[in-house]
Amino acid sequence: MTRRVLIYLDPEGEADSIQLLEAANRMYGATGYRSYGLRLAGTCPQAEGLLDVLLQVEDPRVRPYDAANLARCVEAAHRKHHFDAILIPATTFGRMIAPRAAMRLHVGLTADVADIHREKGRIELVRAAFGGRMRAVVAHRGRGPLMITVRKNTFTLDARIRRSTDIAPLVVDGITEPEVTLVERRPAEKAADIRESEVLVSGGGGIKEHFDQLEKLARALGGRVSASRRVVDAGLAPRRIQVGQSGKTVSPRLYIAVGISGSIQHVMGLKEVDTIIVANTDRNAPLCSLADMVVEGDGMEFVDRLTKRLLKGGKG
Amino acid sequence: MRIVCLAKLVPDVDNFQYDHERSALIRENVRLLLNPADATAVAIALKLKADSRAGSVHTVTLGPRSAMPHLEDLLRRGVDRATLISDPAYAGSDTHVTSHILAAFLSRCGFDVIFAGTHTLDGGTGHVGPQVAEILGIPHMAGISHMDPESLSEGRAQVRVESEEASYTFALQLPAVLGFAYAPEPKLPFIRYEALKRDLSGRVEVIDNQALGLAPEQVGVLGSLTRVRKIHVKGFRSPNTRFVRPDDEGIERVYRFLREKGFVR
Repeated sequence: MTRRVLIYLDPEGEADSIQLLEAANRMYGATGYRSYGLRLAGTCPQAEGLLDVLLQVEDPRVRPYDAANLARCVEAAHRKHHFDAILIPATTFGRMIAPRAAMRLHVGLTADVADIHREKGRIELVRAAFGGRMRAVVAHRGRGPLMITVRKNTFTLDARIRRSTDIAPLVVDGITEPEVTLVERRPAEKAADIRESEVLVSGGGGIKEHFDQLEKLARALGGRVSASRRVVDAGLAPRRIQVGQSGKTVSPRLYIAVGISGSIQHVMGLKEVDTIIVANTDRNAPLCSLADMVVEGDGMEFVDRLTKRLLKGGKG
Repeated sequence: MRIVCLAKLVPDVDNFQYDHERSALIRENVRLLLNPADATAVAIALKLKADSRAGSVHTVTLGPRSAMPHLEDLLRRGVDRATLISDPAYAGSDTHVTSHILAAFLSRCGFDVIFAGTHTLDGGTGHVGPQVAEILGIPHMAGISHMDPESLSEGRAQVRVESEEASYTFALQLPAVLGFAYAPEPKLPFIRYEALKRDLSGRVEVIDNQALGLAPEQVGVLGSLTRVRKIHVKGFRSPNTRFVRPDDEGIERVYRFLREKGFVR
């Protein structure tokens, strides 16, 4: 039986929304479902040719940040097409829309699904719990669609199968004048993104007054600097380079942590890091248990000496 | 202006002990703490009250009886009233049920605006704020980093939300649920010496399901639409960690290790 999957195409995260096709592939196999996208008229043109059906909301009162009305749209789409699964990107607004839609549909919702696999014909949803220390397998009860949100960079769509796309307007009853209005939108500065760096040199509370000196080590390794929450909260580094639960999730090949003890909120921000080197005065700091190599001692001494060694080069 | 703050007590996950033999977290005797983002929300509410922009601050907590000392602590810091919703029948409730329980109380307690933290440290789904708003039929915004206090007196809230894409300013009609992001400032006020002896009787109430009257099949594990089937502990890989010191020999070993791995050419 061909399944039906709805993907919400968030205008503020179009590329991330389309990646959710890979989550659907994991659920039903690449040819086992028909893909439906929910989009606002005039947004997400790149979905054309990749999804089977685009349900288009044309009511101008529905705005991308208006979760109450968008939840009504998700509900209306489901009442009409009876989806097996509803996938919503865990973007700023997707996170507000999904819970409201789940409540309207009276279905369970699993947030931030990190992995999906099939076991004996059943779909298993895996998410991090307790700040990333555990992975929980979540089961949904009841007969409703399987509803999930997925964080950015969780699934990568490899093969883009070209499909002919039907575009159909979606009529939604009960749309109201928005109770949330946008006053101003200023695009974030497109600064270098720590998530794109293969090497990160990260500083924490243990070295916070010397944070600016990490740059030279990062440069010697062709990488970038990042920070723990303590350094950011102290105003010594901008929030956009923070690693962890309240910052970013990073997957560099090499992560060098200097003066970071490794609270679980910090460890949550590390995903599939190949190699971890920790410099810390305390060899029992939690992050040391994840490290390939621990440099036990003064973090800045380590930074200075390793930078010099790297600049000297050669086999030594 | 009556502000109701949703305040959750969460396990202090940073100080969990780990049982290496059983590969399990030791959850007994884990300390509870006020969820940091909720503390930010309460601190903002108390600041509004101190600046005479809010009349009263009322915290609402769903949780075990052991939350009580924390609620008394909040009263000593300036919260006017604290409600603990606690019933053994509520154990095992997922976010769907939790939202219904909170909304059942909120729909009759009276409020002009509801404050909450956007995320909690334990589950961290961020579902309860928007779901409570959906049940109550009011707007909601998450991830608020700043609120214009002046706007409240005009029956709306003007808030700022920072995302990776942009910085947004929104105006929400009140009543609304405002979800604040954790921020180091403002902090909860200190407890003054006089407040230690303050009589708190009558300012903290405990409410159970008899008072809220939800059907038994709507709450707890029975009413939940999601269930954790199993839990894997991860993140405790113990590779053959090598220990060195930041001396000549140690640095040389780090350097060679980086070469082996291809980070140095």
